[in-house]
Amino acid sequence: MHEQSHVIFGWNASILASILFVLVYALIISEKLNRAVLALLGAGLLIIAGVLTQEAAIRGVDFNTIGLLLSMMVIVNITGKSGVFQYVAIWSAKRVNARPMGVMVMLSVVTAVFSALLDNVTTVLLVVPVTILITEELKVRAYPFLIAEILSSNIGGTATLIGDPPNIMIGSAVGLTFNDFVFNLLPVVVVVEIATVVIFAFLWRKELVTTEEARERVMSFHEREAIKDVRLLKQALFVLALVIGGFVTARLIHLEPATIGLTGAALLLLLDNFSRDAEEQSKNVHSAFAEAEWVTLIFFVGLFILVHGLEASGVIKWMAGQLLTATGGDFNMTAIAILWSSAILSAFIDNIPFVATMIPMIKAMGPAFGGDQALMPLWWALSMGACLGGNGTLIGASANLVVAGLSERAGQPIRFISYMKSCFLLMLMSVAFCHVYMLLRYLH
Amino acid sequence: MTVDSIMNRNPKTVPMTETFGGAFAILMDLRIDSLPVVDTNGIYRGMFDLEDIWELLLPRAAMLGLKSLTDLAFVSDAKEAMHQKLQDAGARPVSEFLDAQVQPVHADTPVKEAILLFYKHQGDLPVVDRASKRLLGTVSPWEILQALR
Repeated sequence: MHEQSHVIFGWNASILASILFVLVYALIISEKLNRAVLALLGAGLLIIAGVLTQEAAIRGVDFNTIGLLLSMMVIVNITGKSGVFQYVAIWSAKRVNARPMGVMVMLSVVTAVFSALLDNVTTVLLVVPVTILITEELKVRAYPFLIAEILSSNIGGTATLIGDPPNIMIGSAVGLTFNDFVFNLLPVVVVVEIATVVIFAFLWRKELVTTEEARERVMSFHEREAIKDVRLLKQALFVLALVIGGFVTARLIHLEPATIGLTGAALLLLLDNFSRDAEEQSKNVHSAFAEAEWVTLIFFVGLFILVHGLEASGVIKWMAGQLLTATGGDFNMTAIAILWSSAILSAFIDNIPFVATMIPMIKAMGPAFGGDQALMPLWWALSMGACLGGNGTLIGASANLVVAGLSERAGQPIRFISYMKSCFLLMLMSVAFCHVYMLLRYLH
Repeated sequence: MTVDSIMNRNPKTVPMTETFGGAFAILMDLRIDSLPVVDTNGIYRGMFDLEDIWELLLPRAAMLGLKSLTDLAFVSDAKEAMHQKLQDAGARPVSEFLDAQVQPVHADTPVKEAILLFYKHQGDLPVVDRASKRLLGTVSPWEILQALR
């Protein structure tokens, strides 16, 4: 829908939308100003300038993505209060007799699994403090453990609809289910996780040694004591199982992920507050919603509007045409180009605005490649590239920065260059695995 | 009523060169919670207090800000390990442990402001000269309560 007739001073809507988008993008990359503020300001200016009406802007916001993200944030934050994540982390460390290499492998796998089922940032926020505690007791550097968790978090998150924001956005925009992601991405994610952890453990093997006495200290941890609220734990696991069951059967029950997630969050809030008095309920509910990452959610809203401005003014269609020209209209070439460019770009810039821009571009390629169904491999290429690319640098994904922040507070800072030296090649390796996977499974 | 009328004008202080072990011994001997640390010119440099000792004894994972572990019930107590931490820190200068968060007050600060700071869980307050930053004394909750009794 074109809204060009109302653009101020009679300016060209496409040019104005592009300038605003590039400006916001550049300022986000510069990291001088908060990305949510920039996206919202850009969206506001887009409406004020007349590129979009307010109604059109709101239509551009994918509330399925926003609702799903919010619901998972609420569910996971409430679940985290039960202490279950600490329990699992300690339990897994003890299963390998607290041997540092085993602990690193176990915590990486735990992080990958949690990240597949929950938000990556929340997962690392819950696993990293326990990791720092365990490594302190083992008297080993937390650094390799934390890096392995960053990598696993982004790898695990690639496997499911709810694992990483790019997947939520792609799934919502294209109507892909939880099962679609699992069937198409889990196989390659398992291979990438195993390869990454094995190589990483091998590279760091000399640092992963400790004394018998230190191991005994970890073995004497009482993981059951980490469970702070058994009732809440049961309620949270029940609701999580219901929600994930809902995602798995979403197509059968004809429900969108946001409806399933938000209803689950409301049910958990109801169960958690059922026996509390009014004042306590008020505090508890307020805290549950306050702990959601509103900055991220607001960023999404602004970004959707900015991208919608590009879409409505015809810029996206033009960009898609340019990409098709560059790849000579060859489907395989386009898929591989999307995979690698998404990975490399996502290592250096925020993958959320990138994916938000790519979604309408790929959609616009439908007619050229024989309809929406034919585009499926391109969606998997975008998902794998954008999610795994985040492992390339310390600024590649939100989870990376969160771990770096916690690590610094623990007196073991992770530097940009040293991280990149350890991980960029591993990221390229993981994308190479995906490249082969795509050739074998989707491209002929 | 201002801080000037109730403050302790002769508090025990330690120099920047004092060791952790020395300052720790003073806290223990006098059964006090905090000690102002001053440089050779008598200028206030920070407070050495019980919080600094707890920070030394606690795991780093409990001091990660908002995302810290909030519960250590599952960690086994290891008295020897904690004793060793105190021993290891003994010879290090107290300046490494100073709590820069303790903001000083001034002689003309109203007592109500001092009460508000105590309410926010701050320990004894250093009182410094506004211009020279020299330590003039300290105010503890007991001095305020004594004055109001």
